[in-house]
Amino acid sequence: MRAVNLIPSEQRRGSTLGAGRSQGAAYAVLAVLGVLAIFAWLYGTAHRQVSSRRSEVASLTARAQQAQATAERLTPYTDFIALREQRTQAVSQLVDSRFDWAHAFHEVGRVLPRYASISSLEGKIGSSAGTATTPASGGSSTSASASGAKGAAASTAVTSATPPGSVPTFTLNGCARSQADVALTLDRLRLIQGVSEVTLQSSTKSGASGASGSAAISGGCAGSDPAFTVAISFEPLPAALATGSSAVTSAVSTGGVG
Amino acid sequence: MTGRDRMVLIVVSALVVLAAAWLLLVSPERQQAAKLQSKVTQASAQLATDESQLASARSAQSRYAAAYASLVSLGKAVPPGREVPSLVYQLAQASNQRHVDFSSIVSGASSASSSSSSSSSSATAAPAAAVAGFTQMPFTFVFNGTFSDLYHLFQQLNGFTVRTASGGLQVNGRLLTIQSAKLGPASTVAEAGSAKAGAEQLTGTITATAYVLPAAQGLTGGATSASPSGGAGSSTTVASSAPGASSPTAPAIARVLP
Repeated sequence: MRAVNLIPSEQRRGSTLGAGRSQGAAYAVLAVLGVLAIFAWLYGTAHRQVSSRRSEVASLTARAQQAQATAERLTPYTDFIALREQRTQAVSQLVDSRFDWAHAFHEVGRVLPRYASISSLEGKIGSSAGTATTPASGGSSTSASASGAKGAAASTAVTSATPPGSVPTFTLNGCARSQADVALTLDRLRLIQGVSEVTLQSSTKSGASGASGSAAISGGCAGSDPAFTVAISFEPLPAALATGSSAVTSAVSTGGVG
Repeated sequence: MTGRDRMVLIVVSALVVLAAAWLLLVSPERQQAAKLQSKVTQASAQLATDESQLASARSAQSRYAAAYASLVSLGKAVPPGREVPSLVYQLAQASNQRHVDFSSIVSGASSASSSSSSSSSSATAAPAAAVAGFTQMPFTFVFNGTFSDLYHLFQQLNGFTVRTASGGLQVNGRLLTIQSAKLGPASTVAEAGSAKAGAEQLTGTITATAYVLPAAQGLTGGATSASPSGGAGSSTTVASSAPGASSPTAPAIARVLP
């Protein structure tokens, strides 16, 4: 007959919950093994990542080196394109900084009243109107001639003979039928596109007392018609357009041989 | 040793084993994987940069022929040498087209209205003003013609190099910047040099500046139509790319070597 211990297990001496004969060591070993298994899984995962990432780095580096080598081999092409863009930009700046003389002459002819004539015309691009009127286009100063003339980037900076900010001025000598026609001429000259100021320097009849002989003679006006001298100032030349070089360089064309 | 002591010993041993496993195996591998991940990121970024440069270089390579042609055509506007003969030729052609008498050309910005030497030899001896970027070559031209003809001549001179409506450049000849213009009655009919009535004839004195590439730069920077590196693998050479020896129209003529 089998003996039965009727004392509740928690009240038995020297016994612990689940300890059994191994005193709980089996649980500890199982726990350790479990954790070790997790560690092994983590290690394996990390190891696989290390391997794959190493090969990925090697592959990427090789591709980058290959791309670098090819790009270096093509560097002369890149440099040439840069040279072309730089030169196109420089020429564009010079083209943009020019004064449209033909248009100005056309305008003078267009606005001149019927009873006024011009015996001589002298136009020149004066010095810069000063820093106050110099368009701030950004970029470095282009040195040399014009004070305050601003160009584009220093690398493409060229000095125009008519730098931005320069003021074109015309001096007109002519004849009119009467002083009223001289006044009308002044009014009409103000209609010229781009004119900032029209100044009468003299208007003298050849027979007038105290008249400047040179003006009267040089005018060569008929009878007692007044000879006038008028100074016209135009707006300062604008800064070169800040064009994207790509837009400019894509369209250099050649016309007929000049 | 009591059961409790054994239990403590087992637990401590298990913890030591686990800690050792973590510190010696798992953690270093994970750190290594993390480091490699950052390397992968860096390598990817480097590869993207290099591939971008490569794409840019390949684009430059594909655009090389067009760029070469446009750079050569820009050489008509700003040649590598002084090219006074071609400038005189262009001016003579333009004045012929506009029925204007091309009276004289004098190198330098000084007043040249009294000069009637129509020679390019005197012009070539004059000093050029070297400034930042292009070298300036001032000239003074004297033309005789009617107001209308001179106006059209101004248009044509400006039209040697102009901006197109699309923002590009159209190069038909030498880039000129007119600094001053003086229109006055022709002193004699003989000076006018035409059969037109002397009263209608004007003498136009124009001070203008042409431009020359810096001596250090060739027209194409040593590139040929086939290769930017100057003849490597090329069977075609530009006949006149040497500074000082080229003509604005010459680069369009290529010599094919056997």
